[in-house]
Amino acid sequence: MIFGWIRLLLMALVLLTIIYFVVGIYSRSVRREKLEKRFDAGGIDGDRAVYIEAGMKAYDKGLKKRLLWLIYILPLTAMAVTAYLVNLH
Amino acid sequence: MWRYIKWGFRIFVLLFVAAFLHYTMPQRDIVQIINTYNKVTPIGSNWMFYSIEDTGTGAETTNTTRDIRYIDAVFPDGKTVMVYRNEDTGWFWPPYFKWDSSSLQAEATNYKSDKTNPTWVAVTHYGWRLPIFSIFPNAVGVTEIAGPDVRLIPWVNIVIFAFMAFVIFMIWRMLAQFRERMVDPALDRMNETLDAVDREADYAKAQARGVWGRFMAWIGSWKSKPRR
Repeated sequence: MIFGWIRLLLMALVLLTIIYFVVGIYSRSVRREKLEKRFDAGGIDGDRAVYIEAGMKAYDKGLKKRLLWLIYILPLTAMAVTAYLVNLH
Repeated sequence: MWRYIKWGFRIFVLLFVAAFLHYTMPQRDIVQIINTYNKVTPIGSNWMFYSIEDTGTGAETTNTTRDIRYIDAVFPDGKTVMVYRNEDTGWFWPPYFKWDSSSLQAEATNYKSDKTNPTWVAVTHYGWRLPIFSIFPNAVGVTEIAGPDVRLIPWVNIVIFAFMAFVIFMIWRMLAQFRERMVDPALDRMNETLDAVDREADYAKAQARGVWGRFMAWIGSWKSKPRR
């Protein structure tokens, strides 16, 4: 029985890691597209590639990338809350 | 013909998903509990509708007979009855993480009442009662309510369905993004390459025709000239 719970946790972590990376790739892609479009709209001096790389660097340090950790936090919290409400409430 | 097969398949998938959700999602019945008991239950090919082994109430037995807790209840009309089983769901599906069947059974017994002085409760459960397969919905929780006419709003289901809609929307967006940023540029590059190959082939053909044409002209020059 304990073994079952450990197995569930491991399976959840593997699945959430896959989701984390896929959503991370998606999020980066959306940000890059936004930067490209912003530059192409005009009004920005300098090199296009440099501008985009600077924007991506800012993204890597920004809040939005950290919000991706919610992919781990939310489901595990939901599991804990469900277990609490079903068993102890 | 092919169209019918395609639509039949789609409808089948849709019905399967709907049935799966209807089985798995929590529902609440307003009932009066009339009896609680244990019954040694043989489990055969309907095992899919009982807890898997390796859970709290399933681990004790690995054979096909299991002692299962049951809750008998009657709906406010006084005639329609429902029998719930009360089993731990364990670590896997459905993800209710229920391991308090013993406590739940005690609570249900505590709410037991008779017809003259009924206590109304909302039994949260999932699953179906299908007598033909001997399957029972699994009770997850029991709460006392004011009366049989209380209106229960399924907040949990609303939240879960909203979240599922959000996930489907995000998957759709991600696929669209993937196609726009990865697949389409790759296809464009491939088309450009093919066009280049095509152009080269045309050029080579033109060249070849030139050589061949010159060669034929040279052969032609060997032909005898029409006599004057």
